[in-house]
Amino acid sequence: MSVKKEYYTDMFQWAMLAINGIAVAFLCTFIYVTTNRIRANYDARDFLGGVRTISGNPRTNLWLCLVLLGFLMVNFVFRHFLQMRNGRGGAVSLVAELLICVVIIYRLDFNYNGLLLLVFANVIAYVKDSKAKMAFLLLAIVGYLLADYELLSIYMPLFNMSDYVGYYTFTSQQWLFCIWNTMISLNIILFVGYCFSVINLQRGTIEEVNVLYHELQNANEQLSEYADMAEKMAQTNERNRLAREIHDTLGHSLTGIIAGLDACLALVDVAPQEVKKQLKLLADVSRDGMKDVRRSVSELRPDEMERLSLNASIRKMVTDMGKVSDTQIYFDAGGEKLEFGEDEENIIYRVIQESITNAVRHGHAGQIWVTMKRIDGEVLLEVKDDGIGCKELKSGFGTRHMKERIEMLGGTVSFDGQKGFKVTAHIPIRWGESYD
Amino acid sequence: MKLVRHKKCIGIVVAAAVLFFAGGIYYARTRPVVLEFGMFTGSNWNVANANSFAIIDQAIARFEGEHPGVRVHYYSGVPKEEYSEWLSRKILAGEEPDVFMVLGSDFDQFSSIGIMKNLDELIQQDAGFDTEKYFQSALSTGKYGNAQYALPYETVPTLMFVNQTLLTKEGIKIPNTDWNWEEMYDICRLVTKDLDGDGMLDQFGICNYDWLDAVYSNGGEIFQSNGKTCYLAEDSVIESVKYIRQLNELYCGQKVAQEDFNGGNVAFMPLTFAEYRTYKTYPYKIKRYANFKWDCITMPAGREGGNVSQVDTLLMGISANTRKEELAWEFLKLLTYDEKIQTQIFSHSQGASVLRAVTQSAEMEEIVQAEMEEGETVISGKLLGQVIEEGYTAPQFKKYEQALALSDSEIGEILLNDKTIDSNMKILQRTINSYLQQ
Repeated sequence: MSVKKEYYTDMFQWAMLAINGIAVAFLCTFIYVTTNRIRANYDARDFLGGVRTISGNPRTNLWLCLVLLGFLMVNFVFRHFLQMRNGRGGAVSLVAELLICVVIIYRLDFNYNGLLLLVFANVIAYVKDSKAKMAFLLLAIVGYLLADYELLSIYMPLFNMSDYVGYYTFTSQQWLFCIWNTMISLNIILFVGYCFSVINLQRGTIEEVNVLYHELQNANEQLSEYADMAEKMAQTNERNRLAREIHDTLGHSLTGIIAGLDACLALVDVAPQEVKKQLKLLADVSRDGMKDVRRSVSELRPDEMERLSLNASIRKMVTDMGKVSDTQIYFDAGGEKLEFGEDEENIIYRVIQESITNAVRHGHAGQIWVTMKRIDGEVLLEVKDDGIGCKELKSGFGTRHMKERIEMLGGTVSFDGQKGFKVTAHIPIRWGESYD
Repeated sequence: MKLVRHKKCIGIVVAAAVLFFAGGIYYARTRPVVLEFGMFTGSNWNVANANSFAIIDQAIARFEGEHPGVRVHYYSGVPKEEYSEWLSRKILAGEEPDVFMVLGSDFDQFSSIGIMKNLDELIQQDAGFDTEKYFQSALSTGKYGNAQYALPYETVPTLMFVNQTLLTKEGIKIPNTDWNWEEMYDICRLVTKDLDGDGMLDQFGICNYDWLDAVYSNGGEIFQSNGKTCYLAEDSVIESVKYIRQLNELYCGQKVAQEDFNGGNVAFMPLTFAEYRTYKTYPYKIKRYANFKWDCITMPAGREGGNVSQVDTLLMGISANTRKEELAWEFLKLLTYDEKIQTQIFSHSQGASVLRAVTQSAEMEEIVQAEMEEGETVISGKLLGQVIEEGYTAPQFKKYEQALALSDSEIGEILLNDKTIDSNMKILQRTINSYLQQ
C-alpha cells in the first residue's frame, strides 16, 4: 500500500523534473533563436527601441542553462538511485540542486521561476519531520511568489520574455504564449499533485504507526498478566513445597517423637530403664529432625551463600550493589577468618544487605563503610554511611526485622541517625559450638 | 574496500579540478587581452571625412604601448547610417564592444535598457579625473537621468558667418557677440537690395537661418527630454517662427540659396563648425570664397533667450557587460580626456575638442590656421569656447529625427503658404504629440 503511494510521489518528482527541464530548455532556445532571427532581419535597433532590457549573451545562456540542466538531472538521478534520502549526501545534493536552480533562474532574469517548486518538492521529500515539511512548503510558496518576474522587475531591470514573443506575428505569439503558459501551469499542477501525494503518504504512515502501537500495547498488557500469573504459580509451588517439606521432615519427626513420648508416659512407672532407652531414641529422632530442618533451611538460602563463603558473598554483594547504585562501598572483615554457623551467616548477610539497601534507598549515601570483626567472643557488625541520616527512627526501614533477626541469635543492635546512618550490632557467636 | 575506492574517486576529481583551474589561469595569463572598440566610419557631422581612423589609430598605438599585453581591436567599415543597427545587433547577441561610440539618437535608449555602463563610480574613484575640464554642455549630453553614462568625444557648435566685405561696403559695423534679433533684422533689411536694377533682388541679409536656430536663441525647446511631448505651440517657438516669416518677407518670395552666400551676396549664414572646416579644406571651394572676407560671430539673441546655438556632441561609452572595466575606462579616458589626443581632433576631424583647455588653446588656432589661406580670419578659441559652453543640447531620442523632419516640413509649409502661425502650430503640436506617443 505504502510502496504504491511512494511510487506515485516518485512519479510526480520525475514528471516535475522533466517539465522543468523542458521549460528551461524551451526558454533559452527560444531567446537564442529569436535573437538570431532579429539580427538576421536587421531589426535589432527597432527591437531594442521597444524593450525594457535584453537577455545577456543568448548563446552563453543557452549553453550554460543546458549544461546546468544536465547537472540537475545527474544530481537528481544520483540522489534517487543511491537512495540518498537521508544524511549528509542527500543534504549536499539538495543544496547543489538549489544552487543550480538559482543560477538558472538568475541567468533567465526570473522569467521562469518554476524550478523553485522542483527544489522545494525535493526538499519536502527529504525532510522527515512533518512540521518542518509544512514549514518548507510554506517557504516554497512564499519563495515562488517573491521570485516572481512582475514583482522583481519593479526593482531591477529584467528582460521580458513577452518582448521577444512580441517580435513574432500575432498567430505565432498566441501559439508561443499557449505553449509557455501550459508548461507553467503543468508545473504548478504537478507540484500541487505532489504535495497531495506527500500528505497522503504521510497520513498513511501515521495510521500504520497507530495500528502498530495498539498491537504493541495489547501485547504488553498480556505479557504483564502472564508475569503476574507466573509469579502466583511460583508462590503456590513454593508454598506447596514448604508444606510438603514441613510435613515430610518436622511432621515425620514430631509424629515419631509424640508416639515415643506417649510410650514413655506409659512405661515411666513400669520400666524406667526402658524409658531411658526410649528417650535416647527420641533424642536421636529429634536430632535427625533437626538435621532435616537444617537441610530444608539451607535449601532456602540465597544463591551466593550456596556457593561462596560469607566473606566472599558479602564482597560480591557489596561489589554488585556498588555497581548498580553508584555508591562507594568499603568492606572491612578484619584480618582473621571467621567461622559461623549457617543460620548465623544467613542473619549477618541479611543484616548487612538490609543496612546497605537502607543507606542507598533512604540515606542517598555516597559512601558506605561495612566493618565486621571479632571482639571478646562476639562479632561486632557496623554499617555506616555518609547519607542524610534521620532525626528520628521510623519503623518500616527494616530495622524491626534486623532487630528480630539479631535477637534470635541473642545479640543486640543499635541505630544512630545523627550523622549519616549507623547500624551497630553485637552478636554472640557459638564459635565451634555445635548442636550435633 | 569501498572506502578506498571512494577516496580514490575524490582524489581524481580534486586533481582534475586543480588541473582545470591551473590550465585556466595559465591560459588567462598568457592570452593577450583584447579590448574591443566600436566606431563608425566617416563623420558624425554629415561632412566628408577622409581620415576618421587617424586619431583612433594614434590613440590605440599609445594605449597598447602603455599597456603591454593589451590589444585594441576595432571594427572598421561601418558607415554612420548603419552604425545604429550594427551596434544593436552586437548588443542583442551580447557581443557589444567594450568601448564604443554612441549616436545621440541611441544614447537614451541604450542607457535605459542597461547597455551603457554607469560611469559615476569610475569617475569618483579616479582621483586624476576632473569633469570640470569638459565643456559642461558637451558633458551633459552624456547624462541619462542624473548619471553619466557616456563621455563626450567631439563637439560641433553652430556659428554665424558674416560677409565682412559686404557689410563694410554697406557701411555697417560687424555686430558684437551679444547682438539680438532686432539688430539682425535691421541689417538684413538694409542690405536686401536689387543691385543691377533687373527687378530681382540680388543682395540678401541671411540664408539657411531656420526656425530651429531661432527657437534655440529664444530660450525655447521643441521636445521634452524623454521624447514623449513637443512644445511647438509654446510662445517662444511661435515667436521664432514669426521672426523667420518676418525675415522671409524681406525677400518678396525670392529663394536665397547657399550659392548666393558663396557668391558673396549674402550678409549672414549659420554654419556648423564642421561645415566651416570642410568648406575651407576643399580646394575647389576656395575660389568661391576668394571674392570676400568673412568672420564668425555668435547667433543673435531672441527676446527671451541668449546668443545660443545648437551644439552637437559625439559620445563614447563603456559596455555595462565589459569584463575589462579598468582598461575600458583607461581607453575611454585616453580618447576623451587626453589633451594630446583631443588636440588631434582639430588636425584630423572636423569637430572641436570637448576639453576647454584644448579648444581654447593657441595650438588649436595654429592648426586651424594651417588649413586656411593666409590672411583669412580664424575663429578665435575664446569665441569657440563661449559658443560651445553656452550651446544648447537638443534632447535626442529614437523618434527625434523623424519628428523633427515632420515638424520642419510642416512649418516650411506654413511659412510658404502664409498660413496663420498660432492656430497651425497648435494643430502641428497635436499631430507631432500623437506621433511621439505612438
